[in-house]
Amino acid sequence: MSTIDNKLKAISNINTLQQRDQWVNHLHPLVKLLLTFIYIISVVSISKYNLSKMLVFAIYPFFCFNLADLNFRDAIYRMRLILPLVMVVGIFNPIFDRDIMLYIGGNVMANGEHVGGLAISAGVISMLTLMLKGVYAVLATYILIATTSIEEICYAMRKLHVPQILVLVILLINRYIYILGEEASRIMTAYKLRAPSQKGIHYKAWGPLVGQWLIRSMDRAETVYESMQLRGFNGEYRYVADQKTRATDVIYFMVWLAVFAVFRFTNVVELLGGLFV
Amino acid sequence: MKTGIEKHLLHIENLSYHYENDEPVLKNINIDVNQGESIGVIGTNGVGKSTLLKLLVGLLLDYDGTLEVVNHPMIRENVNHIREHIGYVFQDSDNQLFMTTVGEDVAFGPINYGLPQDEVNRRVDEALRLTHIEHLRDKHVYKLSGGEKKLASIATILSMEPDIILMDEPSVALDPQNRRHLINLLNDLAPMKIIASHDLDFVLDTCDRVVLLYEGEIIADGPADEILRDKELLESHGLELPIRYYYQEI
Ligand SMILES: Nc1ncnc2c1ncn2[C@@H]1O[C@H](COP(=O)(O)OP(=O)(O)OP(=O)(O)O)[C@@H](O)[C@H]1O
Ligand SMILES: [Mg+2]
Repeated sequence: MSTIDNKLKAISNINTLQQRDQWVNHLHPLVKLLLTFIYIISVVSISKYNLSKMLVFAIYPFFCFNLADLNFRDAIYRMRLILPLVMVVGIFNPIFDRDIMLYIGGNVMANGEHVGGLAISAGVISMLTLMLKGVYAVLATYILIATTSIEEICYAMRKLHVPQILVLVILLINRYIYILGEEASRIMTAYKLRAPSQKGIHYKAWGPLVGQWLIRSMDRAETVYESMQLRGFNGEYRYVADQKTRATDVIYFMVWLAVFAVFRFTNVVELLGGLFV
Repeated sequence: MKTGIEKHLLHIENLSYHYENDEPVLKNINIDVNQGESIGVIGTNGVGKSTLLKLLVGLLLDYDGTLEVVNHPMIRENVNHIREHIGYVFQDSDNQLFMTTVGEDVAFGPINYGLPQDEVNRRVDEALRLTHIEHLRDKHVYKLSGGEKKLASIATILSMEPDIILMDEPSVALDPQNRRHLINLLNDLAPMKIIASHDLDFVLDTCDRVVLLYEGEIIADGPADEILRDKELLESHGLELPIRYYYQEI
C-alpha cells in the first residue's frame, strides 16, 4: 500500500473516532468549539515566565483524553508533524535570556546569594512555557477533531455567525484533501504498474504527473461540488440537523469556563500551597 | 405543444450543444417525455449521452434551442427549482459520494431540503432497503467496492424521492445479482426515468422507449423492443443486438 493510501486511512481513522458513542462526542458541537477556543486563548495569553500557571492548565487535555477515551500515544503519533514545529518556537530563549529566575536545591546565604543547587534562567522557563502553549493548543485541537465531525464544527461556526463563505471553504478543503489524495494514489499506482522495475518515479515524469494530478483533482473537485448542488446544496450548510442544547451541555460549558477563569486569573498553585502551609 | 393542455415533464426542441470552441456534440435534438415513461438513451462511446443528461439537470447551460423540465425553461434562475425534481446518478460514482459514511451521504439531500429528522431517517432507511445495502449504512465511502459505490450513489438520489431520475450507465460495475436487483427496483419506481447506457440488455429490461444517438443526432426514437431488435439499425450505428436477441439470430 502506498504512503498516500496510509494517509487517507489516517483521515478515515479520525472519522471513526468522531463517530464513537462517547459522552463527549454527543456534547453540543458549539460547546466543544467554544471551549477549545477559550482554552487556547487562555493558555496562549499566559505570561511567558509563568510556568506554574501553565502547568495547571494540563488538566483540560488530561481530563478530556480520559473522558473521551482517547489514546495519548495515538494523538502524539498523529500530531508528530506539527508538534516539533510548535516546540521550536522558544528554542533560543535560553541563549538570549540568561537572568537566573529560580534555584532548585542549594542554600541561601545571609546576603541573599545562592550556594549550590541548580540555577534556572528566565530563558529556560520561557522556553518551556512557550513549548507548553504549543503542545496544549495542538492537544486541544486534537480533542476537538477527534470528538466532533467537520460537519458539526462547521455547524457550530455558523451558529457563531462565522461568515458562510469561510465555513464553506473549510468544509470544501476537507473534502478536497481526500480528492487530492485519492487522485495522487491512483496516478502513482498506474505509473508503478507500468514501470515495475523502477524505484520511485523518474524525475522526468514528475512534470506531467503533477500536471495530471492537479488537473484531475480540479476536475473531480468540480464534479463533486456539482453533485452537492444537485442534491439541494446552495451554499448554506445544513448537514447537521439543528441540535437542542441540553442541560449537560450548559453545565459542562459553565464548569470548564469557571475552571479556566480561576486558573487564568488567580494563582492556583500559590492558593493551594497556602492551604497546606 | 399540440393540444395546449398537454404538459410534458420534459420538453426538448431543436436542442444543440457544443463544448466551448469544439464541434457540436448534440445537434437538433427533439424529445418529449411524459410522466411515468422510462427512456433508454443509447449510442456509442462519446456520442453525447452524458452531455444530454447533464443538460437536463442544468450542469451545462449555454445550449441552443428549447429545453423545458417540469414545465420550466432551463435557465440559471430556474435551475435550483428544477433540480428539486431531479435525481441524477453520475457515470462515475466517485463523483457522487462525498460524505464520510454511506448513511450520511444518503441523508445529505433530504437534510438540505430542510426535512425534519424523522422524515430524513425514514427516507434513508427506505433508500438503503430498496438498494439492498442496509448493511453498508455506517461503512466509510472510501472503503466501498465499485459496485457498492454504484448502489450507494443510487440510494443517495432515491432518498430525495425525485419526479425524474436520470442515470448514466447505472449497470456498470454491478454483479449479476445486483444488476437484477437494480432492474427490479427501476421497474418498481414510479418516476420518469432516463437511462443512458450501452448495456442494451439492461435498457431492454428497464425501458419502454429508446432513443438512439449517432454523431450527435437522434437516429431513432421508438418502442424499446422494436429498436433493440433492429439488427441493421443498431449495427450501422456502432452497436450490437442485445445478447438475448443476438443468440436468437444464430
Ligand atoms: N468537458 C468537456 N469538454 C470538451 N469536450 C467534452 C467534454 N466532455 C465531453 N466532451 C466531448 O463530448 C463528446 C460527448 O461526450 P459524452 O461524455 O457526452 O459521451 P457519452 O455518450 O456519454 O460517452 P460514454 O459512452 O463513453 O460515456 C465526446 O466527444 C467528448 O470528447
Ligand atoms: Mg457517458
